Amino acid sequence: MWQHKDLLGLERLTSAEIEHILRTAKPMKEILMRPVKKLPTLRGKAVFNLFYEASTRTRTSFETAAKVLGADTASIAVAQSSVSKGETLLDTARTLEAMRPDLVVVRHQASGAAEFLANHLKAGVINAGDGQHEHPTQALLDLFTMWEKLGDLAGKKVVIVGDVLHSRVARSNVWGLTKLGVEVVLIGPPTLLPDEMRVLGVECRHDLDRALPGADVVMALRLQLERQQAGLFPSLREYSRAYGLTSERLKRTGKPTLVMHPGPMNRGVEISSELANSPRAVIEEQVTNGVAVRMALIYLLTGGTAHVVD
Amino acid sequence: MWWIKGATLVDPASGVKAQRDVLVQGENILAVSEHFSEQEVGALANGEKLETVNGEGKYLFPGLIDVHTHLREPGQEDKEDIASGAAAAVHGGFTTILAMANTTPPLDNRALVEFVLSQEQRAGLARVYPFGTVTKGMKGEELVEMLDLAEGGAIGFSDDGRNIQNSERFRLALEYAKLTGLPIVSHSEDVNLAQGGIMHQGEHAARLGLKGIPASAEAVMVARDLLLAAETGGNLHLAHISSKESVALIRAAKARGVKVSAEVNPHHLIFCDEDLTLTSTSLKVNPPLRSAADREALLEGLNDGTIDLIATDHAPHTWEEKARPLAEAPFGITGLETALAAVWQHLVVPGRLSIERLVQAWSTAPAQRFNLLGGSVKPGMPADLVLFDPNWRERIESETLYSKAQNTPFLGQELQGFPIWVWVGGNAVLQERRVVAR
Repeated sequence: MWQHKDLLGLERLTSAEIEHILRTAKPMKEILMRPVKKLPTLRGKAVFNLFYEASTRTRTSFETAAKVLGADTASIAVAQSSVSKGETLLDTARTLEAMRPDLVVVRHQASGAAEFLANHLKAGVINAGDGQHEHPTQALLDLFTMWEKLGDLAGKKVVIVGDVLHSRVARSNVWGLTKLGVEVVLIGPPTLLPDEMRVLGVECRHDLDRALPGADVVMALRLQLERQQAGLFPSLREYSRAYGLTSERLKRTGKPTLVMHPGPMNRGVEISSELANSPRAVIEEQVTNGVAVRMALIYLLTGGTAHVVD
Repeated sequence: MWWIKGATLVDPASGVKAQRDVLVQGENILAVSEHFSEQEVGALANGEKLETVNGEGKYLFPGLIDVHTHLREPGQEDKEDIASGAAAAVHGGFTTILAMANTTPPLDNRALVEFVLSQEQRAGLARVYPFGTVTKGMKGEELVEMLDLAEGGAIGFSDDGRNIQNSERFRLALEYAKLTGLPIVSHSEDVNLAQGGIMHQGEHAARLGLKGIPASAEAVMVARDLLLAAETGGNLHLAHISSKESVALIRAAKARGVKVSAEVNPHHLIFCDEDLTLTSTSLKVNPPLRSAADREALLEGLNDGTIDLIATDHAPHTWEEKARPLAEAPFGITGLETALAAVWQHLVVPGRLSIERLVQAWSTAPAQRFNLLGGSVKPGMPADLVLFDPNWRERIESETLYSKAQNTPFLGQELQGFPIWVWVGGNAVLQERRVVAR
């Protein structure tokens, strides 16, 4: 079933492959919920985390996932590594290769960096975020969360709101959701959602309130506050008024809509504190599911079949 | 003496596209005729050693002239130097190349311009003429000593690689350069619009998650440059035009009578943004490969004369610099050794560009525009000639390239249609595809 050496993005996966990952993540979550969460399955396998961008949650999530499965992990963070001495990604890849890892998890500020690494490594590569391109494990954990809560996703409506232009989370979610038959609406100001984003094949609109009716899920994207200095929006106040999620605003969906956020949140900007703390928000559950989905991926990419997990 | 027999001579300057014999004596073309007999040639040779090249089934062009190359010397000789660039030039059919001034340090004083010319003499292959910069240190501020640089042999002025953002400085440069009669070559790019971009802004960039460089980044500055050229009556040449908006602006300006010339690069005529992937660093170039519609507009502009010249913008980089994620690799494509074959195969063979227009835009017009030797095949002219074999096939491999660099999208591909003999000033510097130094 699983034929790939790497997981670089969702654009090139089939719906059957995505569903296979989600199904594999289900028993993984059960394992994670056990009082003694340690399997011998991947004993003797080495997973390297190579992070060129600061990340706490994603890196910890991958590390936890690998450790639960019994693999050994090593983390290479940019600040302490030879990258700061000007080593190229290619030389770093060769150095890592020489240490015989089974899997390399990479986050890098350049779109395509994960694919570049995958082309130069015998080890499998998992893309933990490449520039503005894709963040497939985030989208898979989002899909898993929706699938758990809503069942079959075909025909459901998901609204993604915020800085779509710069968001690898939004891109990966669009590919994954549309493959599973979900109606996706992207929302943001024209500066953060330019016309050419229509190439993703989904509806793009600038008015959040008019897009909300019927939404089963609303996902807020993290707003990088530096975008204000770059002139992309005038103020947090105005952004929040037009695009901030609140309980009041969510009433427009006419449904018990799920509220999601990839984190870390700017409370009071893209999502109100009160909504983030409400039972509609499944933000912490997304984090748990992140570990489960990453367990599934590490397992599949190191050669596991769908039946070995007990 | 050289007797080039039976080739189809394509010389737009004399309106010829027909079978001709050409005789070369010393540095110059001695005679051109439909046919010479052994006796006639023997008499003209007058005891001098005679070498004959059979041109049947081949084309004879005036040596191609590339007005836009980066030879990287001084300062970045790991990418290219004048000798390797000049060898690459003749290997690709170019007898004259113009070297851009964005070296390290930039060619902003006479001594550096003269250094390039002395390196050209040492190399002894293609003719190399350097541009001087427009501003000291390419900082876009104070003008260089244009009169002194011109005396030292600068062929024009350009801060290519950077744009002079300050419109008043650019206006003053157009005014002052009148003293020299030499053109200013503009790299038209609005830095703020282009900032941080990697490829053409459009749907394909949106899909890949790459920051775009909008067509307006070029067109805004093309419009400015055209307005300033009209106002000053300055001598303006626009480098590497890439967008349909720029083509329309140039066409309208020429219709108004503005004196301006423009060039297009082969890669912008052959590729478009959809050809880029996240790992294709050999297609990362500035200005970027634009949309298919832009590509069509460029070809239309070249065919109707809106665009005057073809030039490679030969931009060599080391393998290590290009073996990086796309966002971190430098901009630039090499062109000298592949451009003629690629244009032949992709545009001439399918009938989208005539042979005459190719030669005119790559030899005749550049010679006239930059006041250079060559560009025509007439008795008494320097014998800068290219014998082109439309059937010669060759795989582009790093080992067979004379350039130090290999950052070409054609690497590993077979192309058809190559120059097999090249003469520069009567010297056969390319013989059966092998570069032979004088």
